[in-house]
Amino acid sequence: MTRPHLADTPADTLSRYGSRRGVSGDLAELVRQKRAHRVAGRLDLVPQAATAGPRATAARVRRRLGGPPTAAEPVPSAAIVALNRLAFGPRPGDLEAFQALGASDGARLAAYVEQQLDPTSIDDSELETRLSAAGFTTLAKSAQQLWQDHHQGNPDWAIRVRPLVEVERATFLRAIYSRRQLVEVLADHWHDHFNVYAWEYIAAPTWAAYDRDCIRAHVLGNFREMLEAVAKSPAMLVYLDNYANHVAGPNENWARELFELHTLGAAHYFGVRRQHEVPRDPQGVPRGYVDDDVYEATRCFTGWTVDEDTGGVAYPADWHDRFQKWVLGTYFPPNRTAAVDGGQVLDLLAAHPATAQHVAWRLCRRLLADAPPQPVVDAAAAAFLAHHNSPHQLREVVRAIVLAPEFRLTWGQKVKRPFEVMVSAVRALGADLSFALDDELTDALLWLFEHTGHARFAWRPPDGYPDEAHHWLSTGTLVATWRLLNWLLDAGDGKGGHAVAVLPPAGVGTSAAALADWWIAKVYGRPMPASFRDEIVAFMAQGRGSTVPLPVATDSDTEHRLRAMVGLLFIAPEFLRR
Amino acid sequence: MKTTRRTFLYGCSATVTALAGTRLSFAGFGAATADARVLVVVFLRGGADGLSMVAPLAGPDRAFYEAARPHLALPVSGAGALLPLDGRFGLSSVAAPLHDLYQRGKVGVVLACGLTHDTRSHFDAQEYMELGTPGTRSTSSGWLGRLLATASDVPTSVLFPALAVGSSQPTSLLGARGTVAMEDPDHFLLNTGPWRWQDAQRAALRRLCNASSSPLHDASSRAMDAVDLVESLSLDSVPPAGGATYPENEIGRSLRLAAGMIRLDVGLRAVTLDVGGWDTHVEQAWSPTDGAFHALLGSLAQGLAAFFADLEGSPTGSWGERVTVVVMSEFGRRLRENADRGTDHGHGSVMLVLGGGVRGGVYGTWPGLAPEQLYDGADLAITTDYRRVLSEIAIRRFANPAISTIFPGYQGYTPLGVVEGRDLPPA
Repeated sequence: MTRPHLADTPADTLSRYGSRRGVSGDLAELVRQKRAHRVAGRLDLVPQAATAGPRATAARVRRRLGGPPTAAEPVPSAAIVALNRLAFGPRPGDLEAFQALGASDGARLAAYVEQQLDPTSIDDSELETRLSAAGFTTLAKSAQQLWQDHHQGNPDWAIRVRPLVEVERATFLRAIYSRRQLVEVLADHWHDHFNVYAWEYIAAPTWAAYDRDCIRAHVLGNFREMLEAVAKSPAMLVYLDNYANHVAGPNENWARELFELHTLGAAHYFGVRRQHEVPRDPQGVPRGYVDDDVYEATRCFTGWTVDEDTGGVAYPADWHDRFQKWVLGTYFPPNRTAAVDGGQVLDLLAAHPATAQHVAWRLCRRLLADAPPQPVVDAAAAAFLAHHNSPHQLREVVRAIVLAPEFRLTWGQKVKRPFEVMVSAVRALGADLSFALDDELTDALLWLFEHTGHARFAWRPPDGYPDEAHHWLSTGTLVATWRLLNWLLDAGDGKGGHAVAVLPPAGVGTSAAALADWWIAKVYGRPMPASFRDEIVAFMAQGRGSTVPLPVATDSDTEHRLRAMVGLLFIAPEFLRR
Repeated sequence: MKTTRRTFLYGCSATVTALAGTRLSFAGFGAATADARVLVVVFLRGGADGLSMVAPLAGPDRAFYEAARPHLALPVSGAGALLPLDGRFGLSSVAAPLHDLYQRGKVGVVLACGLTHDTRSHFDAQEYMELGTPGTRSTSSGWLGRLLATASDVPTSVLFPALAVGSSQPTSLLGARGTVAMEDPDHFLLNTGPWRWQDAQRAALRRLCNASSSPLHDASSRAMDAVDLVESLSLDSVPPAGGATYPENEIGRSLRLAAGMIRLDVGLRAVTLDVGGWDTHVEQAWSPTDGAFHALLGSLAQGLAAFFADLEGSPTGSWGERVTVVVMSEFGRRLRENADRGTDHGHGSVMLVLGGGVRGGVYGTWPGLAPEQLYDGADLAITTDYRRVLSEIAIRRFANPAISTIFPGYQGYTPLGVVEGRDLPPA
C-alpha cells in the first residue's frame, strides 16, 4: 500500500502507553531535539511509566471499599455540595453568593444549576483578564492556523508544543478563576472520556483546537457532534492510529476504543463471539458488541486520515474498503464513501441505549459516587436518549443528574483527585497565581503537581485518568499532594514575600481559636467535628491559651506557624471529601 | 513495639498515638524477615508481543511465522539472529542479557501462556488477570493481595509487605494490608512547607488521621507510615552490587529502586513494577534488532540482568536465591503483522519466571501456528493458564497452598515444574 501521509511523521510520539513509534529521515533530528528538551525541561517530568492502569467498575469499587469512601460526615448544605461537585470548591464569597440565590436549599441549588447550565450568562471577565495577562498567543488560533504555525515545516519542539503548554496553563487558570465552574468540571471529565495523550507530535501543536473545538464546545451540547469532532481531530486520528487505517492494511485500534471507551462501554462488550450470538432488545437492536463489530467498524473507518495540508480530516477515495459491512445489526451497502460509512457508525453508536448508559454512568461516577446509584444513572440515560437530537442534549443529561435527590445524598462518596485538591486549595486561599509562560512559581508548581500522577493531558492509555478512590488514595499520590500543598503555603513571590497571603483581615482576631475558626470556615465552609477543630486550634496555640492574641502579623515565626496551620487544613483527610 | 506498630496500622486509636509520638520507628525491623522470599511481578502493560520475544527456530511453524510477519519476524541467522533456548525456540537477540541468565539456569520460559477468557480488551484483560478472577470484575481484591493475606510467613510486624513502584498501586495488590506506592524516594519526604513547623504539623496530621477509621483516614495514616519507613531508610547504603549496570531510563530506575528496597530488608514480600509501551499497533520495528518494541525489550532484559547482579552481589541476604521475578502481560498480539508494521491485539503470549528457585528451561505446550491451530483463526492459542504458573510459585516458593482463595474458581492445578519446591495439595 501507499504509506499514509503521516506514516513518516509520527516520530517518537511517546503516545499510547509510552510506545515509541518509528522515526525516519529528518524527523530523527526533530526527535533528538525533543528528547534533549525533555531532559532539560519540564517535559521530562511527564510520567514515564505509561501504563494502562488499573481500572475498576462500579460494582467492584463498591465491594472493595465496603461502602462510601468517606461516609461518616453528615450531608452539608446544598452550597457545599454544589460548590465541591459542580465547581472546584468555593472561592471567597462563593458561599455567600450561593446563599443569596433563594430561600431554601432546594431553590438555591436549582438557581445555581440553571446559572451554571447557561454559562454565557455568567460574566467571566476576571478570567479573561487573567488569560490575557498570561501571555498566551495560540489559544484563539483556528485548527488550520495551529497546523500551519506549529506543525508544518517541522518547527522547533518549543514551537510545536506551545499550544499544549498554553492550554495546560489556561486549564489551571480556568479551573481556579472562571465563574463558569461547571464547564470546567465537565471539560475535565470529557478530556478523560475522550482521552488523548497530548505530549506528542501531532496532539501537542493542535491541542488548543482539540480542547476548544472538540471538548469544550460540546460539554453542554450534543454527544453525536462531540463524537464526530473528536473522531475527525488530528489528535485522535493519530493517537489511536486511524490515520493509518487503510483498506490494504486495516488498523483496528480506534474502532476498538471507540466502542469500548467512548460509546457502548466495556460493560456491553460480548467478547470474542460472533455477531449473531449477541442478544437483541425488543427493538431488535443488539445489546452490545463483539470483536466482529470492531472489525466491521474498522473497515468503515478505512480512509479516515489526516489531511497533511490542512490538518483536517481527509478521505482519500482509494483507501476505503468499498464492500458491504454489518455493524451492530445494521447493513451497510457497498460502494459508499468513507465519510458516509464512518458517519453512520457514529450515528449508530451515539443513538445506542448502551451508549446512553455508559455516558450517563461515567458522568454520574464523576459527579456523584464511584458506584453511582442506578436510578440516577437510568434517569440520565433516559435524558440522553430523549434529547438525542437536541443541540443541548448533554445539558439535559447533566441537569437530570444534579437535580436528582442522589446528587446531595451521595455527598462524601467521591475523593478529590489531585487536580481538584490543588485547584480547590488555591481557590480557598483566594490566591493570585499567574500561570503565565515563563513564570517560575508556575513552573515549580506544575513540576510538583506532576508527581501526584495527575499531570494534565498526560495519561497515556486511552481510558483517561482513573476515577475511583482507591487509585488516588495510594501512598505515592497522597505524599506528593501533601508536598505540593505545603510547598505552596511556603512559596516565595520572588520579591522577598510569600506567593500566597494567610493573614485574615483586621477584626477577625489573632488568637489561635480565631485564626483556626476563620480558616476552617474559609477552607471547609461546613461544620467540622469538635475534635478536628480542637486539633487545629492546638496546633496554632502551641501550648498557649487558645484565646490569647498571637503576634501573627509581627513575628515571622508565628506567621509561619499560621502557614503550616493552613497547610494542615489542606492535607487533612477531610479535605479530600467531595 | 510490635504491638504498637500493629495497632497503628489497624486501630489508630488516639491513646496509642499519644504513646507513640510523632513517628514510627523502624530500627531493627529486618530481623524478623530472615529467609523470607520475595515475589516481583513485572507487568508489561499494553499487550506485549510474545512472538517477538520467543519465536520458533525451525519447522512448519517457522514458515508460518515468517509468512505472517514479513517485516517483524526475528531471523534465525545473521544480524539479530534468535538466541537458541532449546532447539525449537529462540529468544530475541535484544534480550541477550536474559539469555545469559537462561544459560545459568535462572530463567523459565512458559510458552503460549495467558488469560483464557475471551477478550481482546486491554482493560478487561488486565483487570481479570490482576483480580485473578477471569470473567468476574466484582472481585474486591487482587490475586497478589490475597497471596499475601494467606501467607503464613508475613508477621504483623511487617507493616508494608508490598512495594508498588509508581505513584499508585496496581489492581493485583488490592486488599494488601500495606503497600508503599513510590516512584522516587527523594519525592517521598515531608520536607516542604515552613521548615520550623514541619514536625509539629506532621504530629498534628497524624492525630487527625487517627481520629477516624474512614478509608480516607486509613489511607492517609498508611501514607504517613510509609513516609516514616522511607525516611528511616537510605538507598545509598545499598548501592548497586555485583557490577550491576541498570539502563538509564524508567525501567532501570524502577528495577534499581526495587532491588534497593528489597536489600534494605524491611520485610517486603511482593513488589510490582509496571512497564508501559507494549501496545504496538504501528511501527513496531524497522528491523528485528531496532525499533520501539526492541528498545523496550532490550531495556527490560538489561534491567533484569542488572537486578539479579545487584541481588546476587549483595553482601548480605542471599537475595539471589530469595527473589523470584515473573514477567507477564495481558495478552499477546496477532500472529499476522498489520500493514503499519505493527500488530493488533491477540491472545496467547509468553511468561518468564526468573531468579530464585527457578528451574531454567522452556515450559508449556506449543499449540502451533498453522491456521487451524490459531485462536479465533488469528492468534497464538493459550495452552497454559497464567494462574497455573502463579499457583506453582505460591505453593512451591511460598509454601502457600490457598489456591482457592488466591484464584477462586481455578480448577485442576498441576505444577509445570518451572520452580523448585515442595508440592502441597491446593486448598
